[in-house]
Amino acid sequence: MPNALKSLLLSAAGLLLVPLALRGAAALHPIPDLQPSYLPALEGPRERAPFDADRLAQLRRLQPAFVVIGDSMAGSRIDPAVFARVSGQSVAPLLYAGSGPAWWYLVLKNWVIASGVHPKAVFIFFRDTNLTNVLFRIDATWSLDTAALPREDDLNAVVARRRGNLFYRLRSGIDALYAATEARRWIEPLVTQWPAQAMFPYHRPRTAFLQAANDRFGLEHLRPMDAADMQATEDREADFDEFVDKSELPLMLRDAQGAGLRLVFVRVQRRPVGGRPPYQSPALQRYVRRLRAYIETRGGTLIDDTGDPEQTLDLYEDGDHLSREGRRRYSERFAERVRLRFP
Amino acid sequence: MIFHSLDFVVFFVVVVALYWRLPQRGQNVLLLVASYVFYGYVHPWFLILIASSTVIDYLSARGMERWPDRRGRFMALSVVSNFGMLGFFKYFNFFADNVGAVLAAVGLHVSPPVLRVILPVGISFYTFQAMSYTVDVYRGELRARRSLLDVAVFISFFPHLVAGPIQRASYLLPQVEAKRTFSIPAAASGFYLMVWGFFKKLVIADNVGVLANKVFALSDPSFEILWAGVFAFAIQIYADFSAYTDIARGSSRWLGFELTENFDHPYLARTPADFWRRWNISLSTWFRDYVYIPLGGSRATGAVWARNVMVTFVLSGLWHGASWNYVLWGAYHGVLLLLTRAHRILRPPAPRRGSGASGGLVVVLQTAGMFLLTLVGWLLFRETEFHAIVRDLQLVPWRSAPQDRHIGLYVFLLAFGYSLPLWFQSVWVETHRGEHPLSDQAWRGALVRALACGAAFAAILVLRSRTSLDFIYFQF
Repeated sequence: MPNALKSLLLSAAGLLLVPLALRGAAALHPIPDLQPSYLPALEGPRERAPFDADRLAQLRRLQPAFVVIGDSMAGSRIDPAVFARVSGQSVAPLLYAGSGPAWWYLVLKNWVIASGVHPKAVFIFFRDTNLTNVLFRIDATWSLDTAALPREDDLNAVVARRRGNLFYRLRSGIDALYAATEARRWIEPLVTQWPAQAMFPYHRPRTAFLQAANDRFGLEHLRPMDAADMQATEDREADFDEFVDKSELPLMLRDAQGAGLRLVFVRVQRRPVGGRPPYQSPALQRYVRRLRAYIETRGGTLIDDTGDPEQTLDLYEDGDHLSREGRRRYSERFAERVRLRFP
Repeated sequence: MIFHSLDFVVFFVVVVALYWRLPQRGQNVLLLVASYVFYGYVHPWFLILIASSTVIDYLSARGMERWPDRRGRFMALSVVSNFGMLGFFKYFNFFADNVGAVLAAVGLHVSPPVLRVILPVGISFYTFQAMSYTVDVYRGELRARRSLLDVAVFISFFPHLVAGPIQRASYLLPQVEAKRTFSIPAAASGFYLMVWGFFKKLVIADNVGVLANKVFALSDPSFEILWAGVFAFAIQIYADFSAYTDIARGSSRWLGFELTENFDHPYLARTPADFWRRWNISLSTWFRDYVYIPLGGSRATGAVWARNVMVTFVLSGLWHGASWNYVLWGAYHGVLLLLTRAHRILRPPAPRRGSGASGGLVVVLQTAGMFLLTLVGWLLFRETEFHAIVRDLQLVPWRSAPQDRHIGLYVFLLAFGYSLPLWFQSVWVETHRGEHPLSDQAWRGALVRALACGAAFAAILVLRSRTSLDFIYFQF
C-alpha cells in the first residue's frame, strides 16, 4: 500500500476517532441540572430556566383588552402606554427582542390562553415569512424556556417536520455520536471566558465585568444598521404551501380558536427603499395572498402594513425598527384603528 | 450551495464517486452539470448569467480566431457583455446614487432609479476569469477552444466558482482538456486542505466574525474597542477567504485539478509590496497582468508609474464592492506602495548587517508595522459610511472610559485566542520554507496529521460558531 494512501487512511481514521474523546470528556463533566429538552427534534438534554408562572398571574390581574406579542418589530412600533391611552383600554405587551414564532406560539398558548384572560384581540407582529418559518431564531432555545412547559409535543412535531430531512438527521446523529452537545457545554465557556478569567480572577468582579460588556453592546449603543437588520427576504422561504404545515401558524390559529380568542397578525412594513415601500417579489406577493386566505378562513385577521402611504421612511430609525417618534406615531394610529375595529 | 454545509459534503461525495467512473469527456459533462447545480442551488436564475457569459466568450474567442482582422470587435463584444453584466448588477445602484447626489448638489433633485435585484454571487470572480480567456486569445497567447463544453467547465468549475481563486485560462483550460488520473498523494493533501479550511471557516472566522460584527455595530465605539474589532475583522477576513481557497483547492485535487495558491501568510508581510504578493494572489496578478502592465507597469517612471499604481489599486478596490470605502481602501494601499517606493528611493536600504537577534528583531518590527498598516486598511474596508471612518480615525486612547479599555482588551484577547492556530501555522510555514518536515514518508508525520485532522473535527463539533456567517467574499 503506498505511503500516501496509508497516511490518508490514517488521517481519515483520526478524523473520525479522535473526536470520540469528547464522549469521555463529557462523561467527566456531567451537568448537574441536565433536563430533557421539550424540543428533542432540535437538541439534546440541557440545563433550562424555569417556566415563568408569574406571567399568568400578571395577566389575570391586568385582564388586558389587548395583548401584543412579538419581537423588536413590535417593540419599536407599539408603545403600550400610548396604545392604552388612545384606545382607552388596557394593553399587555409580551415582547422579547430577537424572538421568533416559536416563542410567540408558546407565549400565546402557555401564558395568554393558560391565564384564562379574554382580551378583545391578541396581536402578533411579524416580518414577511416569519410565521411559516419555524426555524427563525429557534437556535437560542434557552430564550424559549420561560414560556415553555416540560413537554411541547406539538411544537416539537412541527420542528421535526421542518428539520426532518436527511441533512438535519445526519447532523444530529453526528452530534449524538460524539456527545458534542454535552462536550460543548463545558468546552465552549473555557474558550470564550478565558480572557475574562485572566483579567478578573475573582468571580464577583468578573461577573460584573461580563455584565458591563454585554450592556456595552446593548441596543442603545448600536448604530443604525440597514444591512445588518434587513434580512433580505429569501424567495425560497416564500413558499406558503410548502412550509405552512411545518410551522406554528396552524397551532396558533387552532389554539386561539379553541380558547375563543381573536388573533390578529400584523405584518410590519420593512424599511422603505428610495422613498417607496420595499420591493415585493412575485413569490412574496403570492405568499402574502395565500397567508391572508389561510388566516381569514381560520377565524384570524391579517393586517398588512406594507404599502401604507403613511409609513414613510422618516418613521424609521435603523433597519426595520422605528424611531422613538415613529413609534409614538405608529402607536397612536394603530390604537385609533384598533379602537374602531374593537370598540 | 455553500461549502460549510452538509449539503455540500454529500454533493461532493456523490460527484467524486461518479466522476472517476467516467471517461474524460463524461467527467467534463458531469463537472458542468455539478457546477450548475452548485451555482443554481438557491437561485436558479443565476445560471442564465453564467451561461450567457460562457456562450458570448466562447463565440467571441472563436470569432477572433476565424476573423483576425475583426478581433477587436469580438474583444469589445466580450468586454461589453462581461463588464456590462457586472456593471449592471453590481454597480448600477452605486452609479445612480452618485449621479443623484451630484445632481442634488447642483440643485436638481431627482429620485434615481433603484435596481431591486440581488447581486448574483461570484459574478466578479467568474466574469474576470472568463475575461482572461478572451483577452489571452485576443493577445494571441492562447488559441480559441473548439469545445464549448471545455470553456463552460473552465468558467463554471464549481470548487472555485463563487469566491476564487481566479484561474487563468492558460492554466486551467489545459487541465480541463487533459485526461486526469486519480492521485492518492493529491487526494491526501486535498483532504488536509479541506479539513483545515473547514476548521478555519467554522471555528475561527465565524467566531471572530461575531466579535467584529458586534464592534462595528456600535454607534459609539472607543479607541480600544474599535481597534480590537478591527483586529477581529482582520482575522475573520483572512481566515474566511483563505478557508474558501483551501476548500476549493482541496476539493479540486480530488477531481484531478490543481488550482493556484491564493494566500501566502499575508500577515507576515514586511512591506506593502510584500503584502500584495501574499494576499488574494490570483486577483493581484489579474490586475497586474490585465491592468497595471498594459498601462505601462513598472517600465514607466515618476508620475506615470504612480498613476499606474493608483489606477490599478483603485480599480482593485472598486472590484470588491460598489461603495466608496472600497475605493478608499484600494487608494490607501496604492498610496502605501508609492510611499514605500519613494522611501526606498530617498533612503536606499543599508547593506544587510548580521542575521542574528538584531536581524530577527528588524523582521519582527517590520512585520508588526506592516500588520498595523494593514489594520488601518481593514478599517476602511469594513466601515461603509464615510462619516464613521472619519469618526473612527479621530478616536484616541486617552479619552476612553476605563471600562472600555477592559472591554477592548477582552475582545482583542478573545479574537487573538481564536486566531492562534493561524499565527502558529503562518510562523511555522515561514520558518520552514523549502522543508518537508511532515513528509508522508514518515509515520510520525502521518500520525501528526491524523491527530490534527481529528482535533480539527472535534473543534468544529464543539466550537463552531452558533452564528453561521456567509463567506465574506461571496458578496464580491
